[in-house]
Amino acid sequence: MSFELNRRLVARRPPLATSADVDAVTASIINGAFETVCFEVATHLGRAASSAIINQSNERNASIIDGNGRLAGISVGIPQLLFVSPLAVRWGLENFAEDDWGPGDVFVGNDPDYGGGHLPDYTVYAPLFDAQGELILIQALQAHQGDTGGKDPGGFSVDSRDIFGEGMGIPVLKLVHRGRPRRDAIDMLIRNNRFPSFAGDIAAMISAVQAGVQALQEICDRFGTETVKAAVNYNIDQTNERFRAEVAAWPDGDYPADVWIDQDTAGNPDVHVRVTCKVAGDQLTVDMSGSDARPELVNVWNTFANTRGYAIAQLASMVDPGINKNEGLFYAVDMVIPEGSILQPPPNKPAALGAFHPAVEVGEAICIALSPILPARSAPQVYKLGMPSAVIGFTDTGEMWMDQGVDVRASDASATQGLDGWGAMCAGLGNLILATAEDAESRFPVLNLGREMTTDTGGAGRWRGQPGTRNVKQVLAPVSAMTWMVSRKHPLRGLNGGNDAAPYSNHFLVGTADEYEVENAINAQLPAGAITAYQYGGGAGFDNPLERDPVAVREDVLDEYVSMEAARRDYGVVLTGSVENCDVEIDTAATAALRAQMAAATA
Amino acid sequence: MSYRIGIDIGGTFTDFALLRGDRLRLHKNLSTPEDRSLGVLEGLAALAQLEGCTLADLLAATEAIIHGTTVADNTLIEMNGACTGLLTTDGFRDELELRRGYKENIWDVRLGPPQPIVPRRRRLGVPERVRCDGSVHTPLDEDAARAAIARLRKQGVESVAICTLFSFVNPAHELRLAELVREALPDAHISLSHQVLPKSPEFERVSTTAVNGYVGPRVTHYIERLCERLAQAGYARQLLLMQSNGGVMTREYLAGSPVRVLASGPAGGVIGGAATGAAKDARELLCVDMGGTSYDVSVVQGGSAPAESGWNWHHRYLVAVPMVQVETLGAGGGSICSVEAGTLHVGPASAGAEPGPVCYGRGGTRPTVTDAILVLGLLSDDEGFAGGGFRLTRDGVEEALREHVAGPLGCSVEEAAFDCWRVVNANMTQAVRRLTAEKGCDPRALTMLAYGGNGPVFAAIQAQELGIGRVLVPRTSPGFSATGALTARPGIDEERAYLAPASDASVERLRELWAELDARAETFLTAAGFRRADMQCRYQLNLRYPGQNWSLTVDAAQVTGEQDLSFADEQLVARMVARFHALHQEQYGHAREAEAPEITGVRLVAATDIPGPVFSGGSTAARQAATAHRERRANLGHGFAPTAIFRGADLTPGHEVKGPAIIEEQFTTIVVYPGWTAHVDDAGDYELNRTG
Repeated sequence: MSFELNRRLVARRPPLATSADVDAVTASIINGAFETVCFEVATHLGRAASSAIINQSNERNASIIDGNGRLAGISVGIPQLLFVSPLAVRWGLENFAEDDWGPGDVFVGNDPDYGGGHLPDYTVYAPLFDAQGELILIQALQAHQGDTGGKDPGGFSVDSRDIFGEGMGIPVLKLVHRGRPRRDAIDMLIRNNRFPSFAGDIAAMISAVQAGVQALQEICDRFGTETVKAAVNYNIDQTNERFRAEVAAWPDGDYPADVWIDQDTAGNPDVHVRVTCKVAGDQLTVDMSGSDARPELVNVWNTFANTRGYAIAQLASMVDPGINKNEGLFYAVDMVIPEGSILQPPPNKPAALGAFHPAVEVGEAICIALSPILPARSAPQVYKLGMPSAVIGFTDTGEMWMDQGVDVRASDASATQGLDGWGAMCAGLGNLILATAEDAESRFPVLNLGREMTTDTGGAGRWRGQPGTRNVKQVLAPVSAMTWMVSRKHPLRGLNGGNDAAPYSNHFLVGTADEYEVENAINAQLPAGAITAYQYGGGAGFDNPLERDPVAVREDVLDEYVSMEAARRDYGVVLTGSVENCDVEIDTAATAALRAQMAAATA
Repeated sequence: MSYRIGIDIGGTFTDFALLRGDRLRLHKNLSTPEDRSLGVLEGLAALAQLEGCTLADLLAATEAIIHGTTVADNTLIEMNGACTGLLTTDGFRDELELRRGYKENIWDVRLGPPQPIVPRRRRLGVPERVRCDGSVHTPLDEDAARAAIARLRKQGVESVAICTLFSFVNPAHELRLAELVREALPDAHISLSHQVLPKSPEFERVSTTAVNGYVGPRVTHYIERLCERLAQAGYARQLLLMQSNGGVMTREYLAGSPVRVLASGPAGGVIGGAATGAAKDARELLCVDMGGTSYDVSVVQGGSAPAESGWNWHHRYLVAVPMVQVETLGAGGGSICSVEAGTLHVGPASAGAEPGPVCYGRGGTRPTVTDAILVLGLLSDDEGFAGGGFRLTRDGVEEALREHVAGPLGCSVEEAAFDCWRVVNANMTQAVRRLTAEKGCDPRALTMLAYGGNGPVFAAIQAQELGIGRVLVPRTSPGFSATGALTARPGIDEERAYLAPASDASVERLRELWAELDARAETFLTAAGFRRADMQCRYQLNLRYPGQNWSLTVDAAQVTGEQDLSFADEQLVARMVARFHALHQEQYGHAREAEAPEITGVRLVAATDIPGPVFSGGSTAARQAATAHRERRANLGHGFAPTAIFRGADLTPGHEVKGPAIIEEQFTTIVVYPGWTAHVDDAGDYELNRTG
């Protein structure tokens, strides 16, 4: 629990010791087999888990870590989080002898000061040993839990000043010893969680990693353990080399970017993330020096492991998507993360909300910094909402329920060169399957009143950002509603001359005399019948809107992504007719004149 | 009066299987993409000639034609479906575009959106709202509905999909919207979500309904034209159509949800596979079909191919009707081998039939899997390939492999060919593992059934990698989907949502829902000329632990003949809960006995038997070693060596071939890898067993 520990956890680890050689084809086959095992493990959990956040929203991430603590393979999931598990497992490995590791063991950890993400992200992991007792691989599985036993239900506290208010931190705890579940330990976890469904989740996580270890054993049997070790070494080296080969093609230079978060949950304004991407030959250094370190900040302290994960996830989206995702990415990229800043906080800082912001701003800043030199792959892999509006209530029999609000929405789906923003979110969140109205209403006393995209909320650009949705919900029973608003003042940034996305907003008690806009963090009591309206920010635009093909603008108007007024105001496109009559046409001469006038005004 | 005819239209060939008694005749002719019904009539005429009669005589003596069509798939591939509009609950018109957030590749920021089948301008909300209990929260605003319909009309809409929230509980608003559409657009095709997919949640239902609207007019038109042509040619009985769930039904049943024929082609093969396997005492099967461009994998459990509804993506759209789960990988004989950044890739790009692999000699220049296995000696260039139609050539093959694979990898051509073989094998193995993971089954417990032109080349080696010890290769494997269509049973497979904790589920309500499904099945099956007495009904419940999102389906009862719901007694739910705990233990390694599960839905799988081809099994003949026809240099995974080549025509029941060896059949090649033995069973089919 110190910066010194963080330095130890991230220190570069050696390849696995083996005298075996492996050819490229076998190594790639073993890589594919690892990805499939991760898929099997994640699927197992998705099918068997009890909480919607895991089994419906797919917040679950399987990874394989080698005996030296290096990331050897991952699969579907949430990119940022797929890169987080290794540090939590490395803390477990530091205690290998004391904790008496052996075949059939299963561990759990969730502590941000011991390599973890925020407290709700439990990493469950299980080792695979060879016949001689040597540790070969570790199957890890990370998933977001519905509660962590802190002072507020749901794992998030908007006013917690330290981590102890948020819940129970677990550096490492053995759940299964030599194949036998430790009832004492598991019962303690279950007791410290408000949701009865947690028992099912943890049982499913344990059985999933056990199935993963079994599958890894079969791979070792099939190829030979030494060959598997050689393949892990080979694949990591390959990724390092391929990433460096891409960097070598980038122009040398320092590329800085600054991003701000509106405020922390106590109202301290303009939380600052600064990133400088330094390219020198084939070496990329992501220097986060200059990022905020104000000690008075509340709840905007990212976890160290998440800072690294979010940085690597953004970078992985900006290179050839065919490069295998493993420890080689960390070999290829040097990171400077100032100790004591919001990106590597001092011990005991709260982490639940910080793992959203400033975590995503690390990725956003990297994207902005590199967008001038990588325009074709500059799409920020972010979610700019502070947090969804989670509502919590109690049934007649006193059982707690929570609608986590991870509902179908569109937000932050930005354009990049040659491609409009599309779908619900950025590509990286494409496995986070959003919750439906019919399922939620069958479980909870809520009513979804609408969630269409709002015209003109996507950033204008030669390539346009996808508009954001306005999600309107009504609660049918008294609830406490918790949320945190950011991106009202600092919305998602347009790139290369594209416009910013429209800002976020969130109103409570909509349609009543007491209606108000949520301006920061809130934990509000809402009466039955209260309506909330969450306007999600759109995606950002890319490149000059005056360059957008007028035909595309006309199509956008017909589809009501863009209004007639905005076509003129933002794109300089003059249209005739009306959407209702489906007869919108371009006034070519007026458009040419207006665009010339607008171009002259900006020049 | 004794013929039954199975017809399967593929990309290149239309396959026919003619059944008379237990005699099966296969025929193939080229497909006619501009009007596929023409190719069907041509093939039927050819079959008549083979039978020595006129087409009219043949059709007069045919009691059933069973047909698998790809017209829905082609509509989605070519994106030339109907101009479709969507009417939905106000506030929810973007669900189709938002896809619950799903994107196919989380690492590729350059992946674009799917081409819209219903663009936003034709997705219109109408004020109305039904709640989860079926009560009306907001009445339907008919004036707003009329205005929306007028807007669709202005846009030339030919097909209208209607999907409102909780319509599967209370369909009144959807039904009224349909009436209003009929008033203003009397010729429009109408798809109602509570009929196409009567279950939650809304994205799955609206997507399925929209796809139904998009493909519906073309599917309906094709079926009508085919029926007309058949009628003109003298056929007066039922045309039964293959559905994606592996069953067949009449056009009257499919009229409401033509999307059910999507992906029905591979389903025929799987159904045939299940029948073949059952005859040979292999009820747990892994069916692998490797053709020219794709590799289709599916699992048969307990002798049947279960159809699953839910997260089925086809051509980038979600279609949640029950489908036989077939995992398709772009790996076939035509898959192109290439090296990018030092990594060897095989597929998914395919050389197709034209120009095809280099060894087809039709101008192909990119090396393919077929080229690689020719170099490895698994295929022969000195005899007819694909039934003698043409001969493979080695001209240009080595050069292509050298340029595109061996050079970049820095190895010899033969080594490069071997690496291609390994990679395509590994890709196929991963596809199998993904499917078995989703099914929650262990591949080692399965028997492999291989078909398609290229399936038997790779079958045994893949089986070995997966830990499978027994492989079946039917002699009819090249035309297996048409044969399979003949074995498919008429039936319906439907469910109704019912959400309740098992502890206070209403048995009366369960009975009502089953009775409703039962009545539907009886109506359509008797209209198709089948008897209630022959109707086999499987009544099922979907259950899950509280909070779970995926349900497991548990059988409640199987009843043949008249409706009898007496099994649904007061103890029913307790029995179901016990079975659910046991099934959960089996699938996920743990059960939560302390938790009371909840019921999520009621299902009925109703079917009736029809005479199909007889698949026989068993090996009664004494084993005797077969005699090799000749030898050829080939690499079966352990380096090049002289390898015994057998001719399929020389082999009769009882014959045995020990690996390494290669058996050349008329339309396919069976590779017997080292450590494997093949023998011919009483039906003339091949069984390969791992012996070493």
